[in-house]
Amino acid sequence: MAARGRAGGGGDGRDGSAMSLTPMDVRDEAVQVWDGRLRLHVKVTGDGPPLLYFHPLSGLAWNPLLSQLAARHTVYAPEHPGTSPGDPHAISEVQTFWELLLVYEELIRALGLDRPVAVGQSFGGMVAADLAASFPQLFGKLVLMSPLGLWRDDAAIPLMAMVAGPPEDMPKYLFAHPDSEAARAVMALPGDPGLIPKAIAQGAWNVGCTTKFAWPIADHGLGRRLHRIGVPTLIVWGREDALIPVAYAEEFGSRIAGSQVEVIDDCGHVHQADQPERTWTAISKFLDS
Amino acid sequence: MKVSLFEQVPYRYIPDDYGDHNSSVVTAPYQVVDPDRMHESIFSAYAELLHGVRSGFDGIVVTEHSQSSYDVSPNPTLLASAVACAAQAEGLDPAIAVLGRSLGKTREPLKIAEEYALLDCISGGRLIAGFPVGLSYDANLNASLPAIETRDRAREHRELILKAWTSPSPFPWNGRFEKYGAVNIWPRPIQQPHPPVWVPGTGSPGTLRDILRNDYAFVYLSWDGPKLVGRHVFDRYWTLAEETGRDRNPYRLAFLQVVAVAETDERAEKEYASHLMSLYHSGLGAIPGTAMAVPGYAEPAAIEAMLRAGGPDGMLARMRTATYKDIVDSQVAIVGSPATVADQLEAFVREFRIGNLLVMMQNGSMPRALTEKNISLFTAEVLPRLRPIWDDEGWEHRWWPRAAAPAAAGTAGTEAR
Repeated sequence: MAARGRAGGGGDGRDGSAMSLTPMDVRDEAVQVWDGRLRLHVKVTGDGPPLLYFHPLSGLAWNPLLSQLAARHTVYAPEHPGTSPGDPHAISEVQTFWELLLVYEELIRALGLDRPVAVGQSFGGMVAADLAASFPQLFGKLVLMSPLGLWRDDAAIPLMAMVAGPPEDMPKYLFAHPDSEAARAVMALPGDPGLIPKAIAQGAWNVGCTTKFAWPIADHGLGRRLHRIGVPTLIVWGREDALIPVAYAEEFGSRIAGSQVEVIDDCGHVHQADQPERTWTAISKFLDS
Repeated sequence: MKVSLFEQVPYRYIPDDYGDHNSSVVTAPYQVVDPDRMHESIFSAYAELLHGVRSGFDGIVVTEHSQSSYDVSPNPTLLASAVACAAQAEGLDPAIAVLGRSLGKTREPLKIAEEYALLDCISGGRLIAGFPVGLSYDANLNASLPAIETRDRAREHRELILKAWTSPSPFPWNGRFEKYGAVNIWPRPIQQPHPPVWVPGTGSPGTLRDILRNDYAFVYLSWDGPKLVGRHVFDRYWTLAEETGRDRNPYRLAFLQVVAVAETDERAEKEYASHLMSLYHSGLGAIPGTAMAVPGYAEPAAIEAMLRAGGPDGMLARMRTATYKDIVDSQVAIVGSPATVADQLEAFVREFRIGNLLVMMQNGSMPRALTEKNISLFTAEVLPRLRPIWDDEGWEHRWWPRAAAPAAAGTAGTEAR
């Protein structure tokens, strides 16, 4: 695989060096946006029509779903500002969630992508959904995997408790099967003990960079904009999601005209770890349609 | 040197096994509280501060924490104001140090400018203005502000408050976090150009540089005592002071120390041990480590360095399980007869060049009568040994309110060295 050419690779995904688990060629493209004040790093791999993947709170970590997508699409996976190793203060160039949306809109133009498919997961789902609502011509199709972005008092999202709680409690929010091999792989720290401090520090900072726009409640008024989304949309949710309750699947579904909701049984917040096959079936069917 | 009474406001009737099951912050269950005992706990803190002023402390020091069982002091200017009025009525002139309203936590920074100014006016110009960033649990969980913005927010608020105090005419403020059309606060501080600024911190190089560049006083507000991390932090401080071109004036520095004094060493242990341990086990020790650094609060390089050094410095991370011997041997608390306590204090004060000692005399469940005994013995038998420590060097204390009792050295008004 192509090395990213920067320090900080630990190989587990939690240190922000997303690429080392992938068997494929992945290149790192640095794109200047925001009047030259930001150099966004985008991981690019695969072949076919363009697809953007917006990562969750913890940063970009490679996972089997991305490999599956890359088998049929050219996957562009941007790293949220501040989460690219070696450039932690990039986050201070993006002051508000609205600015984050504008930054990504510039990025998509800079990459020259014409109506790419957008896949957004959790925090990235909120980003993708709001981009689609704010810029109705931006995407060709939209896949939202348990997105943040809405709030219901009767279905509280324990984001703050998870982020500020003990790390050993985190899997119970993320997985229906926290002890599965796939779940452990997501949470694993580098095998080399010398790399662990950097991995933990980068992981915490990544969450600091994303929660900047999701704290304490990730509601920027998306619910009042979702009606603007006009592209074919798939909403995927795990029925046992302990971070963002499945009640939100219908909240998104009812607000996005013509959208399709897939609730996956026996599945938590990280679909591709708990139910990789059913997740891929739902997404690939939608992309084929 | 200046020696002040530092007091937090714990609820004093926390059950013994509280820390085994509960956090002392954020989610601390209020069901453990009996309202009458809450009244007594809070009133005792006021009474003890006043007792300290009457007994001869140079100043009083209070702090802010919300949603906390170990410091029920969501707004320390209320506490400080009551003590300032009572002291004044008796003709006493202590410095009033609020260390302070948290700048990274507030959503209303002009309220801090106004309250501090009011306090300076109430006290006749005896306020020391503390400008802490604020603890992560308080700013990022209690106040629910994004962790990664805490320091930027504190920086802007400090700038705004100083301008609100010093600008001769109304001004607009177009900040990143705050916008105001016409800032024109009433009252303004009596002390000109503004009250002395003390900045509490844990001693990171970035914070120390900022403090030195601005010529503020640095308050090492740790509960670790001088032994565990003192050398590290103070050596760094004085090295940076030299690099920044600042003099070696000890009054630039303040240090917090838990102290308990009795007639003999044996009696001190007997009287104070259980109360001290209630602070460490159910108060400070029951703050979850994760609540001290919500992701984004600390820079990645700082977290990495901390992990490589084997975890957080000092005692805080292991306070909940520390033994009395751990606490006393490490000088997290200095406990004993007046001679024992004075010897230990004098040694590190001289070694680290500390010009302002903040002494915490009430801890956890310690009742008012015992706290007042602690205060009386300390002020009668320990304080006289400490006060002249820096006199022979003749430095001016430029971080002390002029209206408060003058420095013993009597060099006010002249630039030392």
